[in-house]
Amino acid sequence: MATTPQRIHTPVTEPDFLSIHNGKPFGTRLKGWLFTLDHKRIGMMYLFGILGALLLGGAFALLVRTELWAPGKTIVGQDTYNQFFTLHGAVMVFLVIIPGIPAALGNIIMPIQLGAPDVAFPKLNLSSFYLWSAGALLLVLSIPFGGLDTGWTLYTPYSLKTQTAVLVATSGVFLLGFSSIFTGLNMLVTIHKFRPQGMGWFQLPLNIWAIYATAIMQVLATPVLGITVLLLSVERFAHIGIFDPNLGGDPVLFQHFFWFYSHPAVYIMIIPAMGVISELISTFSRKPLFGYRFVAYSSVSLALLSFLVWGHHMFVSGQSRLANMVFSALTFTVGIPSAIKVFNWVATLYKGDIRLKTPMLYALSFLLLFTIGGLTGLFLGILAVDVHLHDTYFVVAHFHYVMMGSTLVAFLGALHYWWPKFTGRMYNESLGRICATGVFFGFNLTFLPQFVMGARGMPRRYWDYDPQYQIFHQLSTIGAFVLGISLFTSVMYLMASFWTGKKATRNPWGGSSLEWQAPTPPTLYNFEKPPVLHELYNYDDLIEYGEDDWGREGEGITEVTPHATPAKVVATPVKAEPGIAERVPPKTEDAPKDQGPKAEEPPAKVVEKLEKAAEAEADAAKPIAKDEEPKS
Amino acid sequence: MSAHGTGSRFIQHHYDDAKHQFDAGKLGIWLFLAQEVLFFSALFVAYILYRIHHPEIYSYAHKWLDVKMGAINTAVLIFSSLTAAWAVRCAQKNQRAGLIGCIVVTILCACTFMGVKYKEYSHKYHEGILFGRYFDPCISPGGTELLTKKNECPGSKTTVEWDFIDDETRGKIKSGCFEEKLVDQDPKTEGVQARCTVTISKGTKKGADWVETSSTPVPLQCPEEMFGEAESASEMPAAKTAEAAHKFPCWRTASQPAVCPDLTKPDEAISGSAARPQVGVLVEFGDEVERGEDTRIIAKCDAPPKAPDAGDIFADKPTSLATGKGTIHPVHEMTTHEEHEREAAGAPPAHTNMFLSIYFAMTGLHGVHVLFGIGVFIWLLIRSIKGHFTEDYFGPIDFAALYWHIVDLIWIFLFPLLYLIH
Amino acid sequence: MAEHHDDHDDHGISHVASIKVLIGTGGTLLFLTVVTVLATRIDFGANINLAIAMSIAVLKASLVILFFMHLKYDKLFHSVVFVSAILAASLFVGFTLMDSSEYQKTNIWHPDRPPIAPYGPRPTL
Repeated sequence: MATTPQRIHTPVTEPDFLSIHNGKPFGTRLKGWLFTLDHKRIGMMYLFGILGALLLGGAFALLVRTELWAPGKTIVGQDTYNQFFTLHGAVMVFLVIIPGIPAALGNIIMPIQLGAPDVAFPKLNLSSFYLWSAGALLLVLSIPFGGLDTGWTLYTPYSLKTQTAVLVATSGVFLLGFSSIFTGLNMLVTIHKFRPQGMGWFQLPLNIWAIYATAIMQVLATPVLGITVLLLSVERFAHIGIFDPNLGGDPVLFQHFFWFYSHPAVYIMIIPAMGVISELISTFSRKPLFGYRFVAYSSVSLALLSFLVWGHHMFVSGQSRLANMVFSALTFTVGIPSAIKVFNWVATLYKGDIRLKTPMLYALSFLLLFTIGGLTGLFLGILAVDVHLHDTYFVVAHFHYVMMGSTLVAFLGALHYWWPKFTGRMYNESLGRICATGVFFGFNLTFLPQFVMGARGMPRRYWDYDPQYQIFHQLSTIGAFVLGISLFTSVMYLMASFWTGKKATRNPWGGSSLEWQAPTPPTLYNFEKPPVLHELYNYDDLIEYGEDDWGREGEGITEVTPHATPAKVVATPVKAEPGIAERVPPKTEDAPKDQGPKAEEPPAKVVEKLEKAAEAEADAAKPIAKDEEPKS
Repeated sequence: MSAHGTGSRFIQHHYDDAKHQFDAGKLGIWLFLAQEVLFFSALFVAYILYRIHHPEIYSYAHKWLDVKMGAINTAVLIFSSLTAAWAVRCAQKNQRAGLIGCIVVTILCACTFMGVKYKEYSHKYHEGILFGRYFDPCISPGGTELLTKKNECPGSKTTVEWDFIDDETRGKIKSGCFEEKLVDQDPKTEGVQARCTVTISKGTKKGADWVETSSTPVPLQCPEEMFGEAESASEMPAAKTAEAAHKFPCWRTASQPAVCPDLTKPDEAISGSAARPQVGVLVEFGDEVERGEDTRIIAKCDAPPKAPDAGDIFADKPTSLATGKGTIHPVHEMTTHEEHEREAAGAPPAHTNMFLSIYFAMTGLHGVHVLFGIGVFIWLLIRSIKGHFTEDYFGPIDFAALYWHIVDLIWIFLFPLLYLIH
Repeated sequence: MAEHHDDHDDHGISHVASIKVLIGTGGTLLFLTVVTVLATRIDFGANINLAIAMSIAVLKASLVILFFMHLKYDKLFHSVVFVSAILAASLFVGFTLMDSSEYQKTNIWHPDRPPIAPYGPRPTL
């Protein structure tokens, strides 16, 4: 590493995806975003939508916590409080955590990690985003239309009876569900059809495995949410009675329907987080991930197991004893793949060259918080214990440890990890570390006391409480504010980095997967030349040239010129081994034969396509190519 | 392998060639179909669950469905599936005329299907064979026609006149015997009772008009708990309800009969049978009031006051009392024919409405899919007239046909499950 | 149109169904529809009637899937996708039924034994 190999500076010949329309009139630039088919732009629109929703959901959380500062009325009455916690839950679950990693960061990063120019169905991708936007809008509109006080679970028969705007909210959830389905579908097809030649299933980065597993659940479970909220809506305005006991319906059936989706949804939230953490831990430990195959398989097996355990949400909801026992037993099996992952991450850290950058701080937080969240989940899976703990703050603390302490922390880690890649800017590292620490301690201060008071019998969703719980509530509220401030600051300095951040290099963390070979920020079709496939998670050939600047020996780096104009092309050495990441040709039988010539061909082809497409986009942001498939 | 070059201008830039694009699209559509299977699965769960636990409902209520219509629709859909599959073949072989013909036939079949569906639905709507709350439990078992509705009370001359004071029903006085005006209360005012005055009116009937000679107010005798604490009769213990039942006239939470009242039983004739509490209001009279040709009991009610300031806009407000919309369930008097019919079939079992809820949910969702399919095929028709489809670009036809087959597939199961119950 | 094609005509991009197969499948489906309607008219007992109707439906569905939807000639993975959807749905049906057939006995749908809702004065705050 001490040697200073020659680096070849190559200007990027294409403008990056953020500055394609620079210099064009405002209307063109706006259309270039709103009608873009570029997965990175769509992902960024998701990202900013999600960050907005995060602030909204966070605001509701802080209002809830403020109300609970003292017993009785602190700032709002019971009904308003019910709406606060419902909207906190609904916004956070449906708008932030579920689309957080797969739709936003997955959209931006996953195709680049695959070495693909785009996702398989760019138009479907854009419509997913607009479905998400419409769903988000409806969910938020439920506030002026009377709010929502059913809890995010929308349980019948209360949701049939309440005076609040259930129909607005369920319409929103319906659209959000289809947004999620289409995203999952897109990801599955992309992973299947756009893997480069030489990248077999076990050369996929674990992030992609996780997104794959998530997509399976998105496609197979989310439709049940769609039909559930559809039936609930019909029930609301047409009284069809399938869930209404007054009309002969079965309210427990609603819970089966709801949890058949919503339990896999919990894994839709956590599995992408696990994928991200696998990437972070490996990169920042400078070590290949321990037990790659086990981690990959455990993602998929978690996805499959997620369909078998939904009844553990219904232990005290009128579910039968037989089902309780079966679901309880099955619930324990979830511990196995989860533990496999945790052990493998810890083993990866062992004797690693650990770099405590901001993303790594989040990854380490994740390890701790996920372990606590996962293990307390096992407590709740035990039938007898669950009867005591059900609907107490213990449950609240448990699922916040998993959904927030794990998923959101991983989301933040991923955001910090890939932020330089897709914005081209470094954020303020010391602020980043301070906020990561703040998130960790604020989070624990918020939710550790909730375990205690839950175990002592404090029920969840209550507006009032016995004075003996006050100290725990107050600790929790203080923690929530620490957490809120840290999150808010994170969002702020990340935004500020657009203007003040120093320019990021091509590979600031020394990551080994393909996205770090793409220009920073990537060009329209991600790579200006086909990337070179190296052994996955092998960091031996990566050289640290300077702070936040890594590269492989002989690998051409590019001067980061975000507003690049076409300039002279300097030939860059392309490593012959193990091969150029050209996509698998469709007919595999005649692939090896013409591999030689093919290796030369693509750059020209890509550039030609680039020019053609850039022209088309610049024209009026009209679709590059006409219609793809009828459905979507 | 010249067939998968990039001949068509519809091959998108990020695909290697036509085959790559087609394969990706095909995998995508199969995943979409998997999604569709799960989307429908919840309704099948509901169907199976209720059928296993309450087979009597299914074997009773399926008689309301017309097997002939169902069979015609099945055949129509199968034929359209055939033409859809043929359309794919035509597109693959670049036969433009055949392609257009197949698509047109498919669209026509789909429209026929929806036409038959419309006929079935409208028939059921007129007969009151409806889902959930709108199911009329007094329906004739044969489902051919409704029982005669008469506003006369067998064995009694009591008449209740309604006068809801609100814009829509002002001045319209409906009269009937034991008339449940099942209007849903404004959900905001649930638990808030309408304010009513009840008078015994003496007079004579001249034509449609009532000429009143005297009127005596009747004091309300409702137990306290009916007004304030209990939100609905369902929350009131049975003993209290029974106690309250003797003190009339009185307002209480109305009930919709779960099964048709048996008029041979006096209790049911008066108050309905196996009443299922619902939101609403009902006026009932005990025997204390002397009845005669010249006596009417007139109840005048204000709509329940609006709850103060509970938010203004409710998107999903059920029909409210204030709009006066509600179903009226007068006592039915059966014709001899209907009585025989009813004796043969028996009264509908409790919760027969569940079959219809499931029927409408399943066929309704399926119908929405058919409508969507019509839209897709019209779009494809336009494109194939424009000549967009070639032998290396026929993906949309194939994918739409796959979607159409799954719609057919679901109907293949719905038909025996709903229409062909033995 | 009149030209004859092998079932395994590959076309380069996708399988082309032959006219014989298409018409044969369509005809069989229509025939089976008639059979299933007629079978309902004969009383074999409710369960057997249901079993017959369902077997015919499954047969028809398989025909549609294999020939109209080309799954017989298609990539194996597409069958995997479809079968996993069916499996997930059966899982859904199975577990829900396992539960409901237990709890139906206890707390729902018994008009004589309705679930007892607590009744009493509301707590005042």
